[in-house]
Amino acid sequence: MIAELGAFALALALAFALAQLVLSAAGRIRRSTVLAAAGEGAALAVFGAVALAFAALIHAFVTSDFSVANVAANSHTEKPLLYKVAGAWGSHEGSMLLWCLALTGYGAAAVAFGRSLPRPLKASMVAVQGALATVFLAYTLFASNPLARVADPPVEGRSLNPLLQDPALAIHPPFLYAGYVGMSVVFALAVAALIEGRIDAAWARWVRPWTLAAWSLLTVGITLGSFWAYYELGWGGWWFWDPVENASFMPWLAATALLHSAIVTEKRGALAGWTLFLALAAFSFSMLGAFLVRSGVLTSVHAFAVDPTRGVLLLIILGVTSGAGFALFAWRAPKLAQGGVFAPVSRESALVLNNILLAAATTTVLLGTLYPLIREAVTGEPISVGPPYFNLTFTPLMAALAILLPAGPLLAWKRGDAAGVLQRLWVAILIALAAGLLAYALVSPRKAFGAAGLAMGTWIIAGGIAELIERTRGFRVAPAESLRRLVRLPRGAWGMTLAHLGLGVFVLGACFETGWKAERAETLPLGGALDVGGYHLVLDAVSDVDGPNYEAERATIRATRDGAPICVGQPERRFYPAGGQTTSEVAICYRGASHLYIVLGERRETATTPVWLVRAYWNPWATLIFLGPVIMGLGGLISLSDRRLRLGVARRRELPA
Amino acid sequence: MIAFWATAGVLSAAAALLVLMRAARAATLAEPADPMPVLYRRQLAEIGELADRGLLGAAERKSAEAEAARRLLDAADRPSEVWSAASPRGVILLGAVSVPAALALLLYLGLGAPGMADQPFEARLTHWRAVSPTELSPPQMAAVLQRLTRERPDDPEGYRFLALAEGASDNPAGAARALRQAVRLAPDRAELWEMLGEALMLQAGGQMTADARAAFNQDLKLDPKSAAARFYLAQGQIAAGDRAGGLAAWRALEADLPPDDPRLPRLRRAIAEAAAQPAPAAGPALSADQLTAIRGMVAGLAARLRVKPDDPDGWVRLVRAYAVLGETAKREATLKDARVRYAGRPDILDQLSQAARTEPMR
Repeated sequence: MIAELGAFALALALAFALAQLVLSAAGRIRRSTVLAAAGEGAALAVFGAVALAFAALIHAFVTSDFSVANVAANSHTEKPLLYKVAGAWGSHEGSMLLWCLALTGYGAAAVAFGRSLPRPLKASMVAVQGALATVFLAYTLFASNPLARVADPPVEGRSLNPLLQDPALAIHPPFLYAGYVGMSVVFALAVAALIEGRIDAAWARWVRPWTLAAWSLLTVGITLGSFWAYYELGWGGWWFWDPVENASFMPWLAATALLHSAIVTEKRGALAGWTLFLALAAFSFSMLGAFLVRSGVLTSVHAFAVDPTRGVLLLIILGVTSGAGFALFAWRAPKLAQGGVFAPVSRESALVLNNILLAAATTTVLLGTLYPLIREAVTGEPISVGPPYFNLTFTPLMAALAILLPAGPLLAWKRGDAAGVLQRLWVAILIALAAGLLAYALVSPRKAFGAAGLAMGTWIIAGGIAELIERTRGFRVAPAESLRRLVRLPRGAWGMTLAHLGLGVFVLGACFETGWKAERAETLPLGGALDVGGYHLVLDAVSDVDGPNYEAERATIRATRDGAPICVGQPERRFYPAGGQTTSEVAICYRGASHLYIVLGERRETATTPVWLVRAYWNPWATLIFLGPVIMGLGGLISLSDRRLRLGVARRRELPA
Repeated sequence: MIAFWATAGVLSAAAALLVLMRAARAATLAEPADPMPVLYRRQLAEIGELADRGLLGAAERKSAEAEAARRLLDAADRPSEVWSAASPRGVILLGAVSVPAALALLLYLGLGAPGMADQPFEARLTHWRAVSPTELSPPQMAAVLQRLTRERPDDPEGYRFLALAEGASDNPAGAARALRQAVRLAPDRAELWEMLGEALMLQAGGQMTADARAAFNQDLKLDPKSAAARFYLAQGQIAAGDRAGGLAAWRALEADLPPDDPRLPRLRRAIAEAAAQPAPAAGPALSADQLTAIRGMVAGLAARLRVKPDDPDGWVRLVRAYAVLGETAKREATLKDARVRYAGRPDILDQLSQAARTEPMR
């Protein structure tokens, strides 16, 4: 009965999403607060209903109810409980429901937290969200029903792709979807602003918290995914420029640009059209990502095996929703009021430059992702656009961005003082140059790229700290006074500084790891050894392990450095009989911020003894790659908690002043 | 059934109530205050802070403040709409909640399976345990035995029956897993080792593997007369290239078997086939279906490598697969690609060359 109630709740959600659209639109047109409020009530009801359907799906997974087709296809009685729960979104249908849960959750949150929005704007926004919810719920219900039943259930489920059977499955997709779909609020606000024909500082202020929330969650979600790929796939890498990774990266880049351009719109009333464009683009990229992974055009761990019909339907949804948004933009944006003017050297110009670079970066990623797909579709000839393309196009853009970044926050609005900024940053410039030169001179093998990256990361971090010192008047007033200023710094400022520092930390890790990683692969008999990055690894033993739903070979590999024991790694090679697949469990020895990364490969029989392929990587400073974005996400959340962002709450506090 | 429809009704009513309550409350709510003054005050404060930090000169500060003031006035000048808080006619509100509820019912009747009960695995298992074993299909039997072995983990006989049920369910991996438990509990029962060897071979698609060979050897050690072990070990020998040795072992087995043994015709056929084979025979020939499946998997691997080419193991596997399938042109092309890609990796190059030399199957 629970599964059927879930299915009913899903139908209820779709019907009330339609009601949300109609009531809010009618409320807007007839200027009726009551009808508009009824639309808001429908938005809350839709979320409640989707949440019930989602709970029903999880229940079916936990109880291994194979009469639900999706459970039979993606679960197994022997699967550990965590993966039964998380398996609810490990498939196409289930993750579509998670998408809808996030979409309607944001819709309900926008209703609940949007008390300070003017009535017309809010009604239009809720109507747009109703339209989005209707489209996606209809797609889920008609083309990907996660609660569809089978009359004759199989005895045992087909189990979940073992690559996905990892605790990260429990957190990576929810974060990612919360990020992706969070852009829907921004999209709805943008369409509503275009309908109203009005965009002003207040609009930019309302967009900001939603962008911040979605951006922070997306940052953490992408990082979790990157870390997951890093330790699960056993390829020793953290970013492969895989189309699916790019699909999550494009909305992130667009949202990053949006965060910055919205500041200009808020503070100076300028860039209004561009900010709107980015707001539309961010969610469009989210939907593009959803299309790419669900259409079958890609082969990847992320790609759900789905039939092309579903892909075509998603393409239609993408075309209609973002097409409508951009058509409205083309029609209404030229009529928007122009904002204030600014000099070439100014905070505005710095932010415009930031946006140009980010937009160019997004475009290179978009081209690198779509061109091979389109070419293969047209000519039937597959080509691979791999890291070389992105290194040549994306990396220089990011380098330019990194070089300019510390100057931006030190520039004044309208007209800045370049000499003054240089004067404030000279210590940071010296530190960065010294760090780069030292790395070039001291670290062997000598790598110009790594040293340049080190200088750049140091520059961003030192520049961020210089800005913090500048804000607190460090070294110019008494330390106590500086400390007082530091404590009273608004959270928005802290958030910005942390996000920039996080980027610096990431650049340090990424460049250091890419520049100086070492890799060795050898077939070892028991007692055999290999050397990597100054470490001596000995294959001590290989034992059989009987896991809950897999069998594995577990190697015990002892690492020493100059004879001193460092750690014992136990990589595994697992076989999942239910799906007949093999995965590898990497062993990582954490050495400070660096990783000794060990993979156990296939066993081979030789004439005398079995041998194992053992691959080992020395990934220096790899932790920073994942730590940096986490700091960035944290910065976003801290900024989000700034009371000044919330107009409704802040007003009560500020009015008595 | 009644409980289901009652609950569904309650859900619809709750959704409708949410809409109506929100609408009823709206009439009493005041228009949200204009946020512009707050924003304006905040912008002035920020301008002051910038000037304070020395980032804004006195003249710029003045013009920035003037601009903020202009924007405030602009916003204040804009005509604001008058909204009505009057309640629309009751019919409209009633329709606003009853139409969606009716639509939901229609949608559900079209797409759902009204009244279909949940079928949690535990309940089904309890039912299977209650009925007579003869009524169960092999997979159901395997599920029951799986639970039984979990309840009595020290009984090798339970694992043996589980292995038989798994084997009958076309699940050689499950059978092998059960038998590994069985031989752990009863290491001196030759027939369990024999079953394990057979299951492992089935799991490997009929190929002799090191594990299977070890199992058969153990079987022979406990029961030197084991015909199955002798048969498969010799078959493995032939597959590995030692045709003379394998054939000799088979002929010896033929001599040892009683003349009325039902396995003799199969053995003689195998001997005749192997003796007539000009080239060293690989494992048993694959059926057309199996070949199609294998080709599909190889195509999938090739596609995956196109997207994620940084996978040395994958390249080696692909080269080996093309070699086994006898697709020489593809093998050479793939080998060339992979050699370029891993030019700096002698270990991978070795593996690639080795894989390319794999004999094609018949």
